[in-house]
Amino acid sequence: MQYNIYLAGVGGQGVVRLSEIIARYAMEKGKRVKFYKEIGLAQRGGPVHCEVRIGDVFGPRIPPLSSNIMVIMELSEVLKALELIKPKGVVILNKKKVYPIDMMAHPERYPKQEEIIKLLNDAKAEIIWIDAEKIALEVGLPIAENNVLLGALSSISSFDKECILNVLRKSIPREIDKNIAAFNKGYEVVNPIR
Amino acid sequence: MKKLLTGNEAVAEGIIESGTEVVCGYPGTPSTEVIQTLLPKAKELGIHIEWSVNEKVASEIATAASWAGKRAIVTMKMSGLNVASDSLCSIIYSGCRGGLVIYVVDDPGVSAGMVEQDSRYYAKLGVAPMLDISSQQESLDFVKLAFEVSEKIKGPVFLRSTASISHVASDVKIGKRVELKREAHFERDISKYTKPKASWCMNQHQDSLTRLNEASKIVDSRVNQVHLEGKYGVIVSGAAWENFQEAVNRYNLKLSWLKIGIVNPLPDEKIKEFLKDIDKLLVLEELEPFIEAEVMRISFLSGKKIDILGKFDGTLSMMGSYSFKEIKKSLEALLKVKLESEQNSEIIKRAEELEVKRPTSFCIGCPHRGTYYAINKAIKKLKYKKKDIIVTGDIGCTILGMNKPFETCWTEVAMGASIGLAQGFKWAGIEKPVLATIGDSTFFHAGIPPLINAVYQNVSLTIIILDNGWTAMTGFQENPGTIPLKDTNPMRIDIVEVCKGCGAKDISVIDPYHLKESIDVIAEAIEHPGVSVVVSRRECALQSRRRKVNLPKLKVNPDKCTGCRVCLSSLACPAMIFHPKDKKGLMEITSSCNGCGLCKDVCPEEAIEVIKDAV
Ligand code: SF4
Ligand code: SF4
Repeated sequence: MQYNIYLAGVGGQGVVRLSEIIARYAMEKGKRVKFYKEIGLAQRGGPVHCEVRIGDVFGPRIPPLSSNIMVIMELSEVLKALELIKPKGVVILNKKKVYPIDMMAHPERYPKQEEIIKLLNDAKAEIIWIDAEKIALEVGLPIAENNVLLGALSSISSFDKECILNVLRKSIPREIDKNIAAFNKGYEVVNPIR
Repeated sequence: MKKLLTGNEAVAEGIIESGTEVVCGYPGTPSTEVIQTLLPKAKELGIHIEWSVNEKVASEIATAASWAGKRAIVTMKMSGLNVASDSLCSIIYSGCRGGLVIYVVDDPGVSAGMVEQDSRYYAKLGVAPMLDISSQQESLDFVKLAFEVSEKIKGPVFLRSTASISHVASDVKIGKRVELKREAHFERDISKYTKPKASWCMNQHQDSLTRLNEASKIVDSRVNQVHLEGKYGVIVSGAAWENFQEAVNRYNLKLSWLKIGIVNPLPDEKIKEFLKDIDKLLVLEELEPFIEAEVMRISFLSGKKIDILGKFDGTLSMMGSYSFKEIKKSLEALLKVKLESEQNSEIIKRAEELEVKRPTSFCIGCPHRGTYYAINKAIKKLKYKKKDIIVTGDIGCTILGMNKPFETCWTEVAMGASIGLAQGFKWAGIEKPVLATIGDSTFFHAGIPPLINAVYQNVSLTIIILDNGWTAMTGFQENPGTIPLKDTNPMRIDIVEVCKGCGAKDISVIDPYHLKESIDVIAEAIEHPGVSVVVSRRECALQSRRRKVNLPKLKVNPDKCTGCRVCLSSLACPAMIFHPKDKKGLMEITSSCNGCGLCKDVCPEEAIEVIKDAV
């Protein structure tokens, strides 16, 4: 059994931190783990993506058509991962769009949402939308977007909630309550969907 | 106990566990995290750990520590091994006393720029054993093994990894630290430690060859594994191992395999034995056909005809890091079966067309943004066209000056090479000015000899040293020019003094946050005959922010901003965005601004205002 998680976004969104919590959670659970991160020049706005593989895994990267679940923090970044989506695999899509500098003046060049959805449907992905920014603002901590998504992911993946919350607590330096609140909101948002 | 460790972190753990007493290296992706992980623990561990000025010096330090009886390791990226090799080739002849390990990480697939060099050849060239790491667990275990082997054979051992192991984390079993507090002691033995006589050198050469065989005997059964199951065989080594195992498990493949953990010398006998039962063979190794060629030799000598799939027949590529897909394809070729289909190619193609490209540029508030802006303006001020002025670039953050919107740098070769290349262009007869740009750490590493050469030969060129005080690109390591911070080495070497010492006469210092002055000074320097040096000094913005250096706060005055986008097109600072609610495209400065103030200087409408001064 393997559980393959693909996470993507842009620099500054906390993709790596989010992924690391999942990898640590899997360790706590005594599972084998492979945790790959691509951070490039790790600066604001550059693409960032991580892969966390749990269970009977050997290779560092998710094989084609094998990602059980994806967390996409920046909408268009899902386009770089279509090769990996497992048919019926879940894709959690955050509504956020981040334009690179040359697109700022031409937002019409950003890929159309309908086209992205169509491709995801063609790949037989099961899409779950989340507006993590809105939820993070509701709890009063805009940078907790990643923890909203962690909540959603944990719920869909049926993670041991207490255990992952413990890992989360250990990994955040401040604003623990607000971060946990963000997690819980994300956890609940997707619950009814399932 | 298990820990989540990257390959590099596991090497660091192995260094601690094996009682190493001296650790040195130079930062370089994908090897940096070994020392990065250890350095903060240096005091607690009670051992010497340092970022040396370059890989050659680092190797010499580790070597002498080993000659004095200590266990020592030196770490570097593949390019660093080229620098260190001059000393290492000679050191290997002399051998060592305490364990001496050379850890080098190759970068197939180029995760960080530079060449896809296959460093395994250095083991042959230098006549030293080399262990090839194929997992995070081995990253730890092989460090310990390498020390054991090195002390038994009394010679240095190479330990090679690749980016897809060194940068990936996994659950790693850790052990206990053996603390070695060895007495430092060195005995004079000139027939071993010097090389003036042919007979001594050849004896030393013979010693290295003997050590190779000894190493092979010690590790053979511990790092080379055989699995026999049928006539189809795979010989696999390095990073390809993990994806190979993934495929074997996923598809429940029945085949024989030999996993090789020592690539120099190769286990000839084991390979010969293995080939006996095999009719068709696949050799899985990234980069060059290093093992494959030897397997062909062995099979030829054994007189057995075997079909060999690998690079020579085009089944596999000599480039890149092997993905699961490539390994799967090669196994399909070996077994003549179709293992699994892939994503519909139409979907992939369409997705690629739609993808958003996110080009890399300087960080928010990066001082280099100011320097390159000023260089371009100085060129313009002197009535030259940018396309006519050669600016050689160098390694590190400074090379980003080749990207939009500056497009200033023309070349990037190796540490310090910008200054050497610039001289060659002049002697070739380029009459227009030639400039070289180089970062502080790169200058210390290999920029000083070419500067001395330029001064001595009295060539006309302008060297711009972008002194941001840190080895920034690899993750903000300290270098000889870094501002001394608490707990760190109090010595600081001033680049201006170094340049004076090298004989440069025309040296000026600018602050790249002050554009007007910087443009004037650079323009003057370009016109100066002979060597001129401009030190553009301002701390890396990310480090300033981390250290909480106070910088001004700025905002765009919406009444003055006309939406002309001059700031955006001339600086491309990621902190600036279009005002979200404004249809005319006015600018806004987000909270991520680091207060360099450059946008204020380039705005023709004076629309950008300081709302809070630096304290
Ligand atoms: S002052 Fe202007 S150019 Fe400098 S970091 Fe802030 S927004 Fe960017
Ligand atoms: S890391 Fe520092 S020096 Fe490098 S681009 Fe960013 S701000 Fe500039």
